[in-house]
Amino acid sequence: MSTTTVTSSARTRSALASSSAFRTFATVFAIAAPVLYVIFEMANWPLFTYHPATNKFDLGWAPSVRDQGPAMHWYGWTLGTLLGSAVLGLIATRLPESTTRRIPLALVWATALAAIPILIYGLRFYWRWE
Amino acid sequence: MDFLFDYISVNTFWTILFLAHALLAVALLGALTHQAMAVLLPVRQVIGDAGFVTRFRAVRGAGYATAVCVLWIATFVLGGWIYAKYRIYVRIPIEQEGFWKTQGVFELKEHVATIGLGLLPIYWYFWKNARAVEYDSPRKWVTVTLAGLCWYSFLVGHILNNVRGFGS
Repeated sequence: MSTTTVTSSARTRSALASSSAFRTFATVFAIAAPVLYVIFEMANWPLFTYHPATNKFDLGWAPSVRDQGPAMHWYGWTLGTLLGSAVLGLIATRLPESTTRRIPLALVWATALAAIPILIYGLRFYWRWE
Repeated sequence: MDFLFDYISVNTFWTILFLAHALLAVALLGALTHQAMAVLLPVRQVIGDAGFVTRFRAVRGAGYATAVCVLWIATFVLGGWIYAKYRIYVRIPIEQEGFWKTQGVFELKEHVATIGLGLLPIYWYFWKNARAVEYDSPRKWVTVTLAGLCWYSFLVGHILNNVRGFGS
């Protein structure tokens, strides 16, 4: 890696760290991600379904196919969450800074923590003694 | 990928991948624990010889931020890759044995890993602006939240490996 590349990479990082647009994007991304993930998981809305035994993909939700192993939805929930949060974050950067500065920063970690008990409740099938 | 299997067995490949995932997780856990301790119990001034705990929490947290993000993403990607094999070769036997709570805590681990991923951009931003007093509180609690999520994921991964790990 050349000195120019290292300097340019450091400059990009520094520009991001001082960018108010990136601050808005990251704030909205952090708040939206747990909300979207909980919605996608509870409603079972994956962006795609992966069948690991056959290495096949389906768009949206798909059930397991008989004799072809299980279906996995977590990848689809995760990708949907990342894309959805990124879109909301980008939209938020279009808003005036006076508006986005009013978003309480405590929400970024409080929303993530609030999602946990809901997700635990969503897994109630597993919390049984037998 | 198939050319790899001319040189190593399929089992060796997945073992290397799993070990890389585990080692990255150890590094991530160490970095986040140092950082969380540094923000929860900051060292103001050391009088005399600093003990182990004081030195443990006396790190400069800002220096860890980029490494934590890279480690979380790398651990997440490798974990996601291994997860497909886990779904077939580990989860099905666990279900057949009726270890429901074990399966449940792992399901929560996958949720926790994604929730943590969503926090990384703002976590990085807060730490890159470590001198901004307005971010002191959210920086502290985002870091502690990420450390808690990381500890949970690490311990559950360890438990699952104990239930059905190498050679089973």
